[in-house]
Amino acid sequence: MTKVSAAKSAAKRKKQLVPYFFIAPHLLLFLIFFLIPMFYGIYASFTKWDLFGSPQWVGLKNYATIFTNQESTFYRQFWNGLKNTVIFVLICVPFQILIPLTIAILLDKRPKGRNIFQGIFYMPTLFSITSVTLTWLFIFNRSLGLFNHLFGTDVNWYGEQPYAWMTIVITTLWWGLGGNLIIYVAALSGIDRSILEAAALDGASGLKKFWHIIIPSIKFPLTYTIIISIISQFNIYGQPLMITGGGPNESTYVLLMYIRNLAFGTGKSVAGMASAMSTCLGLLIGVVSVFQLILMNRKED
Amino acid sequence: MKLKKITALGMALVMAASLAACGGKSPDASGGGAAANDTSDAGDASAGDTADAGDASEEQPQVAPGAKGTIEFWTVFTGADGTSMQAMIDAYNATNPDYTVNHRAMEANDLYLKMPLAIQSGEDVPDVCINHVERVPLFQEQGFLVDYNNYLEGSAISSANYNPKAWEMTELAGGHYGIPLDVHSYALYVNMDLYEKYGNGVMDDGVLTWDEVNSVADACVADEIMPIGMAWLRVKFLASYAQMGGTLSTDGNTPDFNNETAIQVLDNWVKLREAGYTQKEGDDPWQLFLAGKVMFCPEGIWMYNNVKEAGLNAKIFDYPVFDAGTKGNWTSSHQFVLPKNDNRDDEKTKAVLDFIDFMGNNSLEWAKAGQCPAHVSIKEVAEFKDMPQAFLADENEELKIYDYKYYGYAVESLDTVLGEVLWGRMTPEEALNQAVQETKDKIEMSE
Repeated sequence: MTKVSAAKSAAKRKKQLVPYFFIAPHLLLFLIFFLIPMFYGIYASFTKWDLFGSPQWVGLKNYATIFTNQESTFYRQFWNGLKNTVIFVLICVPFQILIPLTIAILLDKRPKGRNIFQGIFYMPTLFSITSVTLTWLFIFNRSLGLFNHLFGTDVNWYGEQPYAWMTIVITTLWWGLGGNLIIYVAALSGIDRSILEAAALDGASGLKKFWHIIIPSIKFPLTYTIIISIISQFNIYGQPLMITGGGPNESTYVLLMYIRNLAFGTGKSVAGMASAMSTCLGLLIGVVSVFQLILMNRKED
Repeated sequence: MKLKKITALGMALVMAASLAACGGKSPDASGGGAAANDTSDAGDASAGDTADAGDASEEQPQVAPGAKGTIEFWTVFTGADGTSMQAMIDAYNATNPDYTVNHRAMEANDLYLKMPLAIQSGEDVPDVCINHVERVPLFQEQGFLVDYNNYLEGSAISSANYNPKAWEMTELAGGHYGIPLDVHSYALYVNMDLYEKYGNGVMDDGVLTWDEVNSVADACVADEIMPIGMAWLRVKFLASYAQMGGTLSTDGNTPDFNNETAIQVLDNWVKLREAGYTQKEGDDPWQLFLAGKVMFCPEGIWMYNNVKEAGLNAKIFDYPVFDAGTKGNWTSSHQFVLPKNDNRDDEKTKAVLDFIDFMGNNSLEWAKAGQCPAHVSIKEVAEFKDMPQAFLADENEELKIYDYKYYGYAVESLDTVLGEVLWGRMTPEEALNQAVQETKDKIEMSE
């Protein structure tokens, strides 16, 4: 009896090892390029550091400055940057979910040339943020741009609110549409057609089918995309940097721009303070994601 | 069973490879982003050329070593100016020196990160680098640079051969830390066709005052010509401010540019905007100037090739003044600096100095790239005398070079507020106070 079970468990153990081979490469890279730098960054946030010398321990001073010293530039920058980042997330993420979802539902109706459309929608995702923003900079240029020219308007797209946010959000949406789109298209095609047909036979309207069949069926990919979109939009940087440069009146100056300027600006690096700010940003993103995961799990029960 | 294992192993390998590929890609992506920031860098002469920076920085040209080896030379010339620099280096290498020069161009921001890191690690330290002059004081203080005075004796290089202002700016703490390659100023371009029509002879004395701008502006505006373009505000502020004797810091440490003089500079901008004498927000005055729709447009001398390509009849003058007696152009300078390296022997350092001297004596190519070489020999070159920036070679006190240790912090903070002042969203006082506060806070954090 013992012999058999021992052999069995040995085989089991062997089997259990195989998955580790699969995750090992990723785990290794994760460790070297993510976990270690992350802990080092957290450590740096408790120091004064210019990137070259050895960090000088200052305890919680950087955090105290960010959170309590209203006189300080860093206090102003952190809260202004955070506010602008949150504004951007709040405007951008709903569209980033709804627009691809709508398109995916339309594509799911199998129109002619479905694959071509899907390809076109996905294409911008392949470009780098630099070329995407350059394209939109040309379109929204005040006196030479396509938009003002076509519609006879004289809107100062990058220099005035709310246009500055509109320009940034449109650029981001156009760029990131494809990523969520293919996930939704895949999820929708996985829904069992017979359920939809049965519902139709029972007289369910399109909207009813959407709420009671489609949404629950793609709940998991939907939550996944919401979390991923929020995380990626919290890390917004390239678009405002290139389009508005943070203006007007630092109203599109997002947190990562401040962080980057502090750490890798024109002067000596203020890496300690930059690390403190990015640690706060990281914590915030973490809290938001965990909160969403909990919410999702509770619904499942 | 075996087959399964092999497949599993194979797939794991493929995954590892593909992940590694992803890892390799990300620096490229971030590099593309960094290129966009470059206009914010201190006096980056190649600001206009950053588009093809990505490819150039990847290149690592290898030259055959000379009899004794190579000199590793890092520069910030990644655009069209990089081609001119390479041509000059090729000319030097063609003289069969003991040490051939290996040129490596990279983004300015990369160089200012990589150079200190290399010096600190002591590995792959370049033998000579190009730095913007504003960077030198801080690098000197951090102990990254070698004092030239130890080597100048017996070398052909001497202060007498160079533009005195450009030379003087790297006299630091009793030593000398940079040999100037050029001076590059932010000057005034005048569209001569429009000037004939609307100028009313205000440039007859060779210098434009702000009052004169105002006096001829209405006639331009009536014909939908923009009197003066206002972009890259940082250097415009610094030029006017220096003309009136302003400094970023009186004691060289604490910033104090929130004063009456600075306010006067900014008040003048507000008046120009309110009167409608400058561009509308969101317009690019340089593009409009090239299209022949702007009469006066301040820009860097290194942009002259744009004007030539556009076929515009334009000339370069000194930057506008408040008072005709106080000419002054914001100026920066590319300087050769010697990174500290214990492994570089004196013989090699001497070879580096010979190379720098050669570059000074053969700098016409550099002038063609739109710069004003700092070596006096250029003044004897007939071809240079006809170039629009030639007048700068004779200027000295008019060249306003800032040597504030915390210049980087100061200009960064100015960048965020100056536009707000011009477009009326901040008063000059508010803007300057915020900028000074920001500079102070950053200094405090870095000490």
